[in-house]
Amino acid sequence: MKGQASSSYKGAVKFRMPTAQNLVPIRLDLDVDGQKFKDTFTWNPSDPDSEIVVFARRTAKDLKLPPGFITVMASAIQSQIADFRSLEGQDMYPGERIVPIKLDLRVNHTLIRDQFLWDLNNFESDPEEFAKTFCADLGIQDPEVGPAIAFSIREQLYEIAVQSVASARENRISKKGRRGAEYTPVSKAGSTGLDLVKLFGHKSSVVRKRKEWDVYEPIVDLLSSEEVDALQAKEERLTR
Amino acid sequence: MELAPHDPGSKLLRPDEPELDLYTIPSHSSWFSWDEIHETERIALKEYFDGSSISRTPKTYKEYRDFIVSKYREDPSRKLTFTEVRKSLVGDVSLLHKVFNFLEKWGLINFSANLGVNGGFGIEGEERSKVKVEDGVPNGIRVAAMPNSIKPILPISAPPKAGDAGGGVVNRITLAPLASYSDVFGGLKKEEGLVCGNCGGHCETGHYKYSKGDFLICIKCFENGNYGENKLRDDFKLNEAIEKSGTNGVEWTESETLLLLESVLKHGDDWEFVAQNVQTKTKFDCIAKLIDLPFGELVLGSAYRKGNPSSFSGNLISSERIQLSSSECQDTVETNGQLHEQTDDCKQNGDILDQDPPLKRQRIASLSDASSSLIKQVAAITTMVGPHITSAAAEAAVNALCEETSCSREIFNADDDSIPNGLWSPAKNCETERVHGEDSEMKERPTQSESRHAIFKKDDIPPTLQIRAAIGTALGAAAAHAKLLADQEDRQIEHLMATIIGTQMKKLHSKLKHFEDLELIRKKECAQIEEVEDILVEERMNILQRTFDSGVPRWRDHPSLKS
Repeated sequence: MKGQASSSYKGAVKFRMPTAQNLVPIRLDLDVDGQKFKDTFTWNPSDPDSEIVVFARRTAKDLKLPPGFITVMASAIQSQIADFRSLEGQDMYPGERIVPIKLDLRVNHTLIRDQFLWDLNNFESDPEEFAKTFCADLGIQDPEVGPAIAFSIREQLYEIAVQSVASARENRISKKGRRGAEYTPVSKAGSTGLDLVKLFGHKSSVVRKRKEWDVYEPIVDLLSSEEVDALQAKEERLTR
Repeated sequence: MELAPHDPGSKLLRPDEPELDLYTIPSHSSWFSWDEIHETERIALKEYFDGSSISRTPKTYKEYRDFIVSKYREDPSRKLTFTEVRKSLVGDVSLLHKVFNFLEKWGLINFSANLGVNGGFGIEGEERSKVKVEDGVPNGIRVAAMPNSIKPILPISAPPKAGDAGGGVVNRITLAPLASYSDVFGGLKKEEGLVCGNCGGHCETGHYKYSKGDFLICIKCFENGNYGENKLRDDFKLNEAIEKSGTNGVEWTESETLLLLESVLKHGDDWEFVAQNVQTKTKFDCIAKLIDLPFGELVLGSAYRKGNPSSFSGNLISSERIQLSSSECQDTVETNGQLHEQTDDCKQNGDILDQDPPLKRQRIASLSDASSSLIKQVAAITTMVGPHITSAAAEAAVNALCEETSCSREIFNADDDSIPNGLWSPAKNCETERVHGEDSEMKERPTQSESRHAIFKKDDIPPTLQIRAAIGTALGAAAAHAKLLADQEDRQIEHLMATIIGTQMKKLHSKLKHFEDLELIRKKECAQIEEVEDILVEERMNILQRTFDSGVPRWRDHPSLKS
């Protein structure tokens, strides 16, 4: 049992954001007395919880929201942080995981579609830095795009990390049931994982085939105001 | 910068030509080779070489690297971006970014593009190096003016010069009009010139300064009543651009200078009249020019003499001395009258001044003041050395000038002919004056003025020559003085060295004595120890003797020791 654990759980890590900075993505979608408030930002879970109320109060004041928002906002943040904390201390995925991250978002007038790979084991990765490079390289001027991209990456990474905790737990249970099965294929660890042997094996090249380039190429569209309005109306209809 | 050693097919071409088979890489990246991975790469990108992962192997790294580098070399003049590269490579984007940054840092990619060595694609490179100017602050952010940054941002965002529109290749960096700009660059901006806060024009002639902040407006705006927001007329103070026109180097012709001097003599410090007389120059230019002139303060001094006679006439006397000792008169014909006045004045003050030692010190102190006029400095320097030296220096200076141009020789020689001892007598006069000292001051005065008159009558030595001779004299005198000082310094150094050596000797002596004392003490102690030893041996002998005497048999001792 001892040897088995050390071999199969090699590389297993305690749960955290798989990025350099352990920042939790927080998404707010509040509705108080018919007034709607949507926002996304990141939160450092090691900050004291007393900061949350301060933050909520401050936000409400800055944006001139009615005071009813303060408690709602604080509790929403609090619950999302609590979700994150409940997972802390548990094991994450065993082995290596490289996942595709897909961007499909609209920020004001900018529409962004992109796809790339992200290593969940690379704890030096920095979504904010990536987003900054992205905007600089593509000449995006809207200052809100960068944070939105970084947030989208963080949200996806967070989701995958949460899933992997669940699957790691499952693995452990199943292994308790049937000893002997020491090797669990990587693909089983999560449906989104890639076959690394196929990608990085000796036979294949890390340079993509030319026809795939378009798939992994970022697409940035600048929309006109009418298009934005149309899209917004469509989105609202969908949410209802 | 050197040529990459791995381009076998490279011909000798200029490196900035976008030729496909020749690339420029910085010399510090000469380790790069297509065939192997260098130690630098291993250190910078450890994760590929620790074998911890299947997706991070040296092979992957090499493939990444080779791809990025060759991608860049498809068109070296263009800046390769990370986003462009990553679509073609399989792998973690964060790690890819690291590799990309590593290659960029070492100049293996984007090197020529960074340098701005643009081939046909110059526009793109230029766009990248241009700083984006935001139209304003983002929505929702209000920039509140800080109390000490009242200086308007208007001049900063002033339209660029017309030349920029044509020459688009110039990498112009414009700074965004942030509120803190004036705080940060306020000092820098001032050097560029004074800019009116209202109309944005340059304050050439002068400006009004706002006394409650860093703000100024030009005279035109002031007169029109445009003081800027919340500012009162009373808070503005006129600052005339005196120092500016001085540095600006307004060209003055000889005749204009003469005109200026004449009118200054006529009108004194009534500058409006002076400027009217000169006609071609403004009031401020006139003042600046007069201050710039080597004897400007001299003339001014006579004008202000009533205000503080003693300090100015102190300078006058010293300048007079140099004039005498170097057999030259600094002033042109126009100032003669002025000089006579001064002489009279000096006569009056002569006794008091020469008996007053602090004044002399004052003169020497003026040396360090760079702004004091040239002649004053010359005078101060020459008073520091003896008359012999001054005369010798003057002689040397005049000789040198004579050798320089024949015309000056003629002039000086003419002087020689017309005045017996023309060159030397004043020096001698001066000498005798020194010898006789203060008592004979009054007697000496007439002789001086006599010789001066003699010179003045024949005076047609151009002022430039006079000044040059004076400078030469001053330099000579200064050199002599420096020599004296150096000699004195040498002596002092020798003296000090002697003192140091003496002290060191004393120290050594006392140390030796100390060692001798120690030696003595040691010897004494040795003797004591020997004595003690003797005593001990004796005692032992005694004890042994006693045991034998008591007759205790030895064999009984042993068992008792064992048990």
